[in-house]
Amino acid sequence: MSEFLVLVVPMWVVFTLAAQGTILSGRTGVFNVTQEGVMALGASVGFLVSYKMGSNLVGLLIAFLVGALVGLVLAYMTTQLRLDQFVVGLALFFATTGAAGLLYRQVIGVTMTPPRVDTLPKFEIPLLGDLPLIGDALFVQDYVFYFAVILSLVMFWFLQHTSAGLDFRSVGENPKAADSLGINVTWARTWSTVVGTGLVAVGGAYIPLPFTGIYTDGMIAGRGWLVIALAFLGGWRPLYVVAGAAFFAAMDVLGQKAQVLGLGIPHQFIEMLPFVATLLVMVFALRWARQPAHLGMNYDRESRLVG
Amino acid sequence: MTATPRLAMTDVVKTFGPVRALDTVSLEVGANEVHGLLGGNGAGKTTLMNVLFGLYKADSGTVLIDGKAAVINSPKDAIALGVGMVHQTFLQVDTYTVTENIVLGTALEGGSHSNGLRAARERIVELSERFGLEVDPDAVVEDLPVGVRQRVEILKALFRGAQVLILDEPTTNLTPQEVDALFASLRAMVKEGMSIILITHKIRETLAVCDKMTVMRDGARVQTLDRAETDAEHLAAVMVGESHGSYETAAPSTAVALGATAEGATHKQVVHGDFAPAIRIESVTVRNDHGVDLIHGFDLTVGEGEIVGFAGVAGNGQVELAEALTGVRPLLSGSITVQGTDLTRAQTSHWLSAGVAYVPEDRHRDGILPKAGITENLILGSHRGRSARRAGLIDWKAARERASVAIDKFSIRANSPATRAGDLSGGNIQRVILARAFAHEPRLLILHNPTRGLDIGSTRFVYEQIREAADSGCAIVVISEDLDEVIAISDRVIALYQGGQAGEWPSTEVDPYEVGRRMTGLSTSRTGGAA
Repeated sequence: MSEFLVLVVPMWVVFTLAAQGTILSGRTGVFNVTQEGVMALGASVGFLVSYKMGSNLVGLLIAFLVGALVGLVLAYMTTQLRLDQFVVGLALFFATTGAAGLLYRQVIGVTMTPPRVDTLPKFEIPLLGDLPLIGDALFVQDYVFYFAVILSLVMFWFLQHTSAGLDFRSVGENPKAADSLGINVTWARTWSTVVGTGLVAVGGAYIPLPFTGIYTDGMIAGRGWLVIALAFLGGWRPLYVVAGAAFFAAMDVLGQKAQVLGLGIPHQFIEMLPFVATLLVMVFALRWARQPAHLGMNYDRESRLVG
Repeated sequence: MTATPRLAMTDVVKTFGPVRALDTVSLEVGANEVHGLLGGNGAGKTTLMNVLFGLYKADSGTVLIDGKAAVINSPKDAIALGVGMVHQTFLQVDTYTVTENIVLGTALEGGSHSNGLRAARERIVELSERFGLEVDPDAVVEDLPVGVRQRVEILKALFRGAQVLILDEPTTNLTPQEVDALFASLRAMVKEGMSIILITHKIRETLAVCDKMTVMRDGARVQTLDRAETDAEHLAAVMVGESHGSYETAAPSTAVALGATAEGATHKQVVHGDFAPAIRIESVTVRNDHGVDLIHGFDLTVGEGEIVGFAGVAGNGQVELAEALTGVRPLLSGSITVQGTDLTRAQTSHWLSAGVAYVPEDRHRDGILPKAGITENLILGSHRGRSARRAGLIDWKAARERASVAIDKFSIRANSPATRAGDLSGGNIQRVILARAFAHEPRLLILHNPTRGLDIGSTRFVYEQIREAADSGCAIVVISEDLDEVIAISDRVIALYQGGQAGEWPSTEVDPYEVGRRMTGLSTSRTGGAA
């Protein structure tokens, strides 16, 4: 069991970082669907920079910046040019997916044995690390795990317990009302998309770092799409996302284990469970799983058409 | 009085393209004063207030607040100068509590957010008690009824320290009890030195709460009156026409309307009864969007080639009547027969094939597909007909040709039949809608505010088209808030008040003052139906 948790936690970090990035922009009304591509690009860039520079931290930071750049394009296209968020998002998904593979091919080429980077060192929190069952999983971890925990708490605090967060959320609920009270809709949407997409890229960049240290094409394996489902499942709230990410990560690991151990359950069935859970929640817990009212809708102050 | 007025707007001019929406308008409002801003639709009341609140930029004119020149370029500036505005549609975040909505966008005091909210909540409770604006500060606004949400809007302005509060037709969706409560609150506010500007077209309410009232008409100020020196009859007369006896020389739009009458002298002016009945409406009842049976037991017969005009102020059942007559809104009871065909529960396609055409009031929302071209907009509704098709598919070549013909005939200013309808000006959109309505060869044509916002040329054009259709035997119902228009174009004028017919006159015997009194509910001879 403890061993299982040790496998789940890194996957939890991946889902949490990408999903918190997704809900950050979602709360201002920007519906990001680039995750699958941006995570791949983050993984590729993060890996290549760590490999060349010999520093995981620099790799993660550059991955963040590249993701932020993609977010800037998404924000510019949707807030300034008012292009459809979903169409732009899909285009960026294809572009970043292609760029991820291309970069790796250009820098590394085709090799018989794939190059490796160092995996992240783990820090033990004194005393807590000795706890049975959860000690190893939660308190002997690398810094990205602790970052994900702190990020989730900060986002919760910001959104629910600050005036700035109240203003920020109103942009995704009723941008016209926000605008009429002097809140800058374009600015809120832009920065949240830039930072949010950066976090999505970091989520991807983290995937090789706990265990394997290698990059392969297709290693995101649909997790980017799961992140969107997770954002809906978590009702676009940071703490629910933390819980949802744990469930998704457990299903993910279970799916991998089912292949290896031969549990008698087809692994495809287990991989399907997060989607089924999301659907069920959407059907039965509508009010709880509510989303920002203007999610996916661009805002035009001078529009004559009633929204 | 030597004191400087709280607010002084002087010679404000605002034009939209060729339309002069405000023509050197001046307005003075003192402290401790509820000032009514009266006038029909398009009189410029809301435009003037949007200038004051920074939503529109005036072409010229000055605004003084407490004697100091005020530069207002945005609502933010206006709020900083102590001007607050409650719009007809509330700008609120549905999922937030009352308190959260009110503090939104303000810098909270008290260190932490929760302390700030607590302090704000106390202030909201204090304000709401002081002015009798009863709200639960912790309620989520989406659960609240319209009347309470309006109080939230008012509190929003008060919380920001508004000294001048503008209310745009605040009573439209309120119950009589809520109206009384609102007026009591307004009186409490002016008692403490605030100034309130109340945009309205309801004379009774104006007299109930206002200290002074300014009447506007066609973008100009007609007169400012003291409550003490006026009464309902007088106010109605000022609203409807310039002054007794000078009706013909009134404002420009009146001149156009009367010009149309003069031109239409050739149009057969026949008394009611000479028309072969084409449309029968029997004891029709429809419900409005707020669940009230506004139109109740409504009877009407319209003859072939007859133009029946409904005059009335907005909100007296116009939309419900128009939508019932066109099959858009379901009837709770009653029946509608067009040329012997009972359409009471028929599908829209049957209404269309029976020759019913509708020119809606909100042309942007209900009249066009803004992102589709003129060709597509023109073919809508007739696309099912055999003449529009070839080999089972829509014949686009023929449709484009017909669109080109319509663009010529209706003088639509557009580059090509492919021009997107949403890119056209209001007048040209209305021409497209008319072209479509007439292409159906209508036997019943319903027009709601057909010339609102149009320039003189377009207005004249619309009148000509309506007369032409009537001459060819189409039954026509014109519903308009412009009394001059109704009188100028109709064979029969009916005053609409609270969903009922408050009076009926053949066009040869219409007295505009009498119509004005009836449509504002001043005469009590309201009849539910009975044409």
